[in-house]
Amino acid sequence: MTADYPLYHLRDLMYRHGRYFELDIPELTIDHSSSVGFVGPNGCGKSTLLRLLAFIEMPQEGHIYFNGTDMGRNNTNAAKQEVTMLLQEPYLLKRSIFENVAFGLKVRNDRKEIKRRVYDVMELVGISPKIFARRKWYELSGGEAQRIALASRLILKPRVLILDEPTASVDQESASLIKQAITECRNQFGMSLVIASHDRVWLNSVTDMVKRIHEGRIAGTGTENLIPGPWEETREGLYVKKLTDGQVVHATKPARIDSTGILNPSDIVISLTRRDDISAQNILRGFVSQMTIEKDSDNVLIDVEVSGIQLLCRLTKPGVEKLHLIPGKEVWAFFKASSVSWY
Amino acid sequence: MDYLAGGFLKAVYLLISGDPETYTAVFTTLKVSSLSITASMVIGIPLGFLLGYYEFPGKRQVRAIVDTLLALPTVVVGLFVYAFISRRGPCGELALLFTIPGIAAAQTILVTPIIVSLTATAIESLDRRLKTTLLTLGARGKQIIITNLVEARYAVLVAAITGYGRAISEVGISMMIGGNIKWHTRTITTAIALETGKGEFAVGMALGIVLLSIALAVNGMLIFLRRRS
Repeated sequence: MTADYPLYHLRDLMYRHGRYFELDIPELTIDHSSSVGFVGPNGCGKSTLLRLLAFIEMPQEGHIYFNGTDMGRNNTNAAKQEVTMLLQEPYLLKRSIFENVAFGLKVRNDRKEIKRRVYDVMELVGISPKIFARRKWYELSGGEAQRIALASRLILKPRVLILDEPTASVDQESASLIKQAITECRNQFGMSLVIASHDRVWLNSVTDMVKRIHEGRIAGTGTENLIPGPWEETREGLYVKKLTDGQVVHATKPARIDSTGILNPSDIVISLTRRDDISAQNILRGFVSQMTIEKDSDNVLIDVEVSGIQLLCRLTKPGVEKLHLIPGKEVWAFFKASSVSWY
Repeated sequence: MDYLAGGFLKAVYLLISGDPETYTAVFTTLKVSSLSITASMVIGIPLGFLLGYYEFPGKRQVRAIVDTLLALPTVVVGLFVYAFISRRGPCGELALLFTIPGIAAAQTILVTPIIVSLTATAIESLDRRLKTTLLTLGARGKQIIITNLVEARYAVLVAAITGYGRAISEVGISMMIGGNIKWHTRTITTAIALETGKGEFAVGMALGIVLLSIALAVNGMLIFLRRRS
């Protein structure tokens, strides 16, 4: 059965919240043991899609097939037990850390070697069981709480782990430990990952593919930059988006004044100085916030923070070496107004 | 004012010497209120969970009725229960009138709305992420109900203690349903009412001291639990 059907197959899926439409996915397939990322602005429907994939909610229209079974029609409790989800803001039960981690096993009445399993999974997420196991739920930092919440899911050895913004409210160290733990589990027992995140560099490092969601629809891969409106017309016939520090982004005429611009990371040129020999209307000052190797290529993905906007840029390894780029370094980003396309 | 000081000293003597009449009233009170609070919790906690956890048409109206019942006058409960369990009443064959189970049954009617309302509030106040967390960890049906109540345990205990406080301090039901029969259905509150009427302040005061001590202990527990929750 496993080999014959994809892990998830969504068909003609529609989900509305009250009178407002949230998701419209004609077709989406997720393979066994894959790791899929979803990116998109707040309110685009990412979390709703994850809740549907976790079977916490069901769509009003369409089908979700999980391993070939239509989850809306059959008795699916056993299948639902194979999927678990980590929330953006973890909720720990009002009991000891040990009891929190062991909870999922206990509701499954699976108590075999429970202490060893709890201790092992706590070690896996970088939390010392000897120090933390007997602590109360409120005696943890935000990052520790998120990792304990993750441990309470990983101990179940789920077929699918769904993560909603797992690194949104944790420090770099916790983000790195979360990555290590989920990668380890994926390698150990073929767990599939479905992750929504704004942290594209982190997301690229843990997923095989990234899909973008925009206004409830799946819209291409996730590496493109999104520049939200509103846009104002200039005398030169271009349109500008004003950033908070006074810098502006130039673009060609948008479909609507509040349209979202799309910018391919390969269309951005990075320089250490402001250059006048490049004929680009957009010359933006920022600093490198994160860097990562792009999967299956020799490129490096660089997050440049420009006045609160993260611009993902794609450079070759020699290009990065030549510029001596490191996180925190001030850089200039250049791109043409015509490089900004529209949804 | 000497009779008050004298009454107080005699009250202390009655308590220390283990006066059987005083202690019978104390034990009857504890027996009746323990029975009624147990019955109220068995009925009220599940109803409170349903009212707090689920959304259904008419929920606000049901909530308004339950909250109105919080202010039930004890004599009105006494009147209706008396009418039901007196020989002429529909439940007359049960012979509950002037018995401890009779008082406990009427007190259950008085206390159950308190348990329902405060349990519903406790469940409603739980973090919204709890429901999703339990579903994602694989909890179903009974496990979800029990875990919700365990999460709200301090607030549910506060409901129980508040209900207990109401049961031990009421006088109308105990008087009307119990009949204030010496050695049998006389409770602390009915005894105080009777002794005061007779001018026997010492017994009244001794029982008042016991009642206040119980109330103090109950309130102490409430303060402790409120802090923990």
